[in-house]
Amino acid sequence: MAKIVWLASYPKSGNTWFRMFLANYLKDSKEPLPLEDIERTTISSSPEEFEDESAINPFELTSEEVDNYRPANYRSVAANSPERLIFKKTHDAYTINRKGEPIFPGDASYGAVYFVRNPLDVAISYANHNTSGLDKVICTMIKENAFIGGRVGDQLRQILLTWDNHYYSWQNQNQIPVHSVRYEDMVMKPKEIFGSIVNWLELPYDEERIDRALNNSNFKTLQEMEQRDGFRERLQNCKQFFWKGKIGNYRDHLTKEQVELLIENFKKLMLQLGYIDERGELTI
Amino acid sequence: MAPKLPIDSLEVEFGNKIQFTSEPLFSNHAFKINESEFELSIEGVATYKVKGGRHIDIIPHEGADKESIELFLNGSVLGAVLFQRGIIPLHGSSFIHKGKGVIVCGASGAGKSSVTAAFCKRGAQFINDDISPVAILQNSSHSNNLPEILPIFSTIKLWKDSLLDLGYEQSGLRKIRPSMEKFYLPVDKSTNINIKLDTVIILTTHQAEEFKSEVLTGISKYNVLRRNIYRKSYLRGMPETSKKFFSQLINIASQIDVVLITRPKRARIADTVDFIDNDSLIWKR
Repeated sequence: MAKIVWLASYPKSGNTWFRMFLANYLKDSKEPLPLEDIERTTISSSPEEFEDESAINPFELTSEEVDNYRPANYRSVAANSPERLIFKKTHDAYTINRKGEPIFPGDASYGAVYFVRNPLDVAISYANHNTSGLDKVICTMIKENAFIGGRVGDQLRQILLTWDNHYYSWQNQNQIPVHSVRYEDMVMKPKEIFGSIVNWLELPYDEERIDRALNNSNFKTLQEMEQRDGFRERLQNCKQFFWKGKIGNYRDHLTKEQVELLIENFKKLMLQLGYIDERGELTI
Repeated sequence: MAPKLPIDSLEVEFGNKIQFTSEPLFSNHAFKINESEFELSIEGVATYKVKGGRHIDIIPHEGADKESIELFLNGSVLGAVLFQRGIIPLHGSSFIHKGKGVIVCGASGAGKSSVTAAFCKRGAQFINDDISPVAILQNSSHSNNLPEILPIFSTIKLWKDSLLDLGYEQSGLRKIRPSMEKFYLPVDKSTNINIKLDTVIILTTHQAEEFKSEVLTGISKYNVLRRNIYRKSYLRGMPETSKKFFSQLINIASQIDVVLITRPKRARIADTVDFIDNDSLIWKR
């Protein structure tokens, strides 16, 4: 019987990068693993897994009915796995279904690693990812009941909430222990931050192995692999999934009004996470 | 009135009590199963029990509508009946085109039904939608113990968008569930006899813009067919059936072509059908 580790984040916040690191670390690979090895960490909104566990086609249920099944499905996945830990990526906020049950069941969970990134850079990266334009992405980020997926042939519906409420939903619940990391810290002090996650997960800690896994999953390597082999998580009209990944990229792309709108909506959390200072000035 | 099921020698009864009389070999929140018994509960719809591949008990849940009860009866429950009868249900829709018996397999939402409906519009003969039972039968209409598709359905389930894309009107069509914009499209049932299976097309999607086609060989044919068994998770509680299916699939794989077709996620139905229809890897072998 396994416990599930949720790799939770708002989209475009370093989740996929960590999954590549983790795949390389767990396998202790000498060479960079191909991007398809990321499938070791399945997605919590996979319709195929839903169908296997519930014996029902999720596209013949409403999204609310699907959410009613999800906690029990995850328990079943955990109960029937011989592993110690199962890793599952999720972009869902931590929410409660219509039966009053959390979608992510505490009793089947080891914990959650939560990745958070400056919302200004999230907006830029997300707009590149789904090619829907910056204003539309910003609208999604500030929309109270935002969701992704849920269409036929797509992933299951994932409720996002607003960018800040996504963060609070995971931090304020008390069923699943959460270890939070900032994307910017993953970039600036990778060994320390990735190492902290390895320790928190109680995986065997090995510095050389961490160095190797970081090297095998560095941004340039991921970009080269995507260029050469493609990447299934890239959306059809998006040119590159691993696009820039740099900190403060918003400075080249967001207008003053867009920056102000995001700060106005997310002031409290941006201050708490150090993305702005007491005077409301951007720090990154 | 008892709901319709497309296969014979089957009793369906409505009741208020269901009892699992033997020990399940697998059970979770949704279903429990062993070689001869199966129970599935769908919240707000019904609890179903299948025994010996011949008998189904149904307990409708409070407030359930008859369309939903029938939908899951003709899906997950019918799948269990076929498992118990030792018949492999492939997760695919099927038709006869250019003289070949074809099953289009794929995950839910991959486009199996839309592609099949489009081929039927171009003159293909419809066989099944979503579930295509495949068996190697003794004394069948074909000699040499060839794999055959058993025809069981006479409608295709299509979403409103697909109906419109294919030029059909939704008015007058029955919804699969009151809350769903998915409809039963009746199709000309031109065959009631088993059809020799020639080709399985595995339909998948990717984010790139081109179509791709690949003929599978060796063990990968078997692996892919196994992955496309409808409700393969039932095998977790049916080890004997699993062994039987293994040898049957090895036999089937050795006698048919398996072609992997990858389409762009946002491809139009007509473009997908054009690509398949013109793919010499499928039709000229």
